[in-house]
Amino acid sequence: MEKILSMIYPLAEGSVVTLQLFAVTLLLSLPLGLLLALARISKIKPLSKTVELYNWVMRGSPLMLQLLFVYFALPSFGILLPDVAAAVLAFVLNYAAYFAEIFRAGIQSIQKGQYEAARALGFTYVQTMRRIIVPQMIKRVLPPVGNETITLVKDTSLVYVLAMNDLLRAARTIVQREFDMTPFFIAAVFYLAMTFIVTRVFNWLEKHYARYDE
Amino acid sequence: MGTTMVRMENVRKNFGDLEVLKDISFELKQGEVVAVIGPSGSGKSTLLRCLNRLETIDGGSIAIEGEYLVRDAKYVEEAEARRICGKMGMVFQQFNLFPHMTVLDNLLEAPMIVKKMARADILPIAEELLRKIGLEEKRDVYPTKLSGGQQQRVAIARALAMNPDIMLFDEPTSSLDPELTGEVLKTMRNLAEENMTMIVVTHEMGFAREVAKRVIFMADGVVQEEGPPEELFETPKNERLKMFLNSILR
Ligand SMILES: Nc1ncnc2c1ncn2[C@@H]1O[C@H](COP(=O)(O)OP(=O)(O)O)[C@@H](O)[C@H]1O
Ligand SMILES: [Mg+2]
Repeated sequence: MEKILSMIYPLAEGSVVTLQLFAVTLLLSLPLGLLLALARISKIKPLSKTVELYNWVMRGSPLMLQLLFVYFALPSFGILLPDVAAAVLAFVLNYAAYFAEIFRAGIQSIQKGQYEAARALGFTYVQTMRRIIVPQMIKRVLPPVGNETITLVKDTSLVYVLAMNDLLRAARTIVQREFDMTPFFIAAVFYLAMTFIVTRVFNWLEKHYARYDE
Repeated sequence: MGTTMVRMENVRKNFGDLEVLKDISFELKQGEVVAVIGPSGSGKSTLLRCLNRLETIDGGSIAIEGEYLVRDAKYVEEAEARRICGKMGMVFQQFNLFPHMTVLDNLLEAPMIVKKMARADILPIAEELLRKIGLEEKRDVYPTKLSGGQQQRVAIARALAMNPDIMLFDEPTSSLDPELTGEVLKTMRNLAEENMTMIVVTHEMGFAREVAKRVIFMADGVVQEEGPPEELFETPKNERLKMFLNSILR
C-alpha cells in the first residue's frame, strides 16, 4: 500500500501534463477544425483544394511522424520551440484535420432547405452558418467528435518520445527503476478514468441535444 | 390603380441546356393575389425562386416595388439585393423550419439577426402572429413535434415576422395530408383578406378560384394563359390549359 501511494504522486504529476496537453489540443483544434471545414466547402477552389491536401497529409501520415518532425526537423529550419509548444503544435495541426473532415461531413448533411429558408429571410452567408447550419451540425457530429476526443486522450501518450513527463513516461520511469509493473496498471486506471469522464461529458451533450429531433 | 409590387420583364432562366423560363413577363399590383398553376416541371417554383434570387436569372429584369433587383440580367450589389428581397417573404413546400429552435425562436430569429431588432420589440409581434395562426400554446415546442399543417402555419408566421409586403408561396399544401390542407389555406385566406400581396403556386384549384384575383397558367416555361379565375377555369382558350384542367379535375 505504502509503495502504491509513493507511486501515485509522480503518476499524478504525469497526469497533469497529459491533461494539459489534452485540454489545450482540444480547445485549439476544435475551432481550427471548424475554420478548415468552412474553407474546405468554400467555393474558392484554391482554398478548398489546399485544405483538402492538408487534411489528406495530416490524416494520411502517422501522428508520431508529425510529432517527431515538429520536434526535430523544425529546429533545423531555425524554428526553436519549447517541448510543450512543439507537442501542442503537432497535436493541434493533426487533430484539426480530423475534426475538419467530421465537421465538413456534418455541414454537408444539413438539408438545402435550411440554407434557402435562411436566405429567403435575408440572412447573410455568415449569419446562416453561425445561427442555422453550425448549431445543427454540432448535434450530428457529437458521436464522431466524441470518438476522436477519446482517441486524443490516449494519443497524448505519444509525447513520451519527446521526453515530456506525461503519464505514460512517468509510469515507465518507475517501472524501469523498481522492476515493478504496478505503475502500468495505475496509469491504465488513470487513462480509463479520463476516457470515462470524456464519455460521460459526451453522453450528457448528446442528451442535451436530444431536446429536438430533425 | 395600385402600386406595382412586382414586375418581371422578359425573364429567362436556364439550367444548363434546359430552358426553364422563356421570356416571362408579368406585373403584380398591391394587394393582388395571383395563383400560378401548371404541370409539374413547368417552371413554377423556378419563377418564385428567381423573384427572391434563390436562383439567378440569365436574361430580363425584375423590379420589386419599383426598384430593380436585376436589370438586363445584371444584379444590383449584394447588400442592396438583400434589402430589396427583404420585402418578400417565402413559404416552401417542405416548411424548412429551423429544427433546433422552438416555434417562438423560429419567429424571433430573423428579425433579431437580420434586422437587429431587440427581442423585446419583436416578441409582442411574434406572439400576436402565433395567436393569429392559433398556435400560441405551442410557442416553446420544437417544430418536429408539430403536425405538418401546424409547421406550415409556423413557417407562414415566421415569414410574416419580417413584415414583408409580398408573400411567395411554393405549393404550401402539397406535402400535407389532405385533412391538414384546410388550416393552412385558411391562414392564407386570412392573409389575403388583410390585403397582402401574394403569389401562390398551387394545385388547390378551389383556393385559386376563390382567393386569387388572377390565375397564371404556365407550361414549358411560358405563361400560356392568364386571367381572372372564372375565365380561366370556365372558358379556357389555350389547348394546354384545357388538357391540364381535364387532367386535374378528371
Ligand atoms: N437546380 C436545378 N438544376 C437543374 N434543373 C433544375 C433545377 N431546378 C429545377 N430544375 C428543372 O427545371 C424544371 C422546372 O422546375 P420547377 O421550377 O421546379 O418546376 P415546377 O415547380 O413547375 O414543378 C424541371 O425540369 C426541373 O427538373
Ligand atoms: Mg415546384
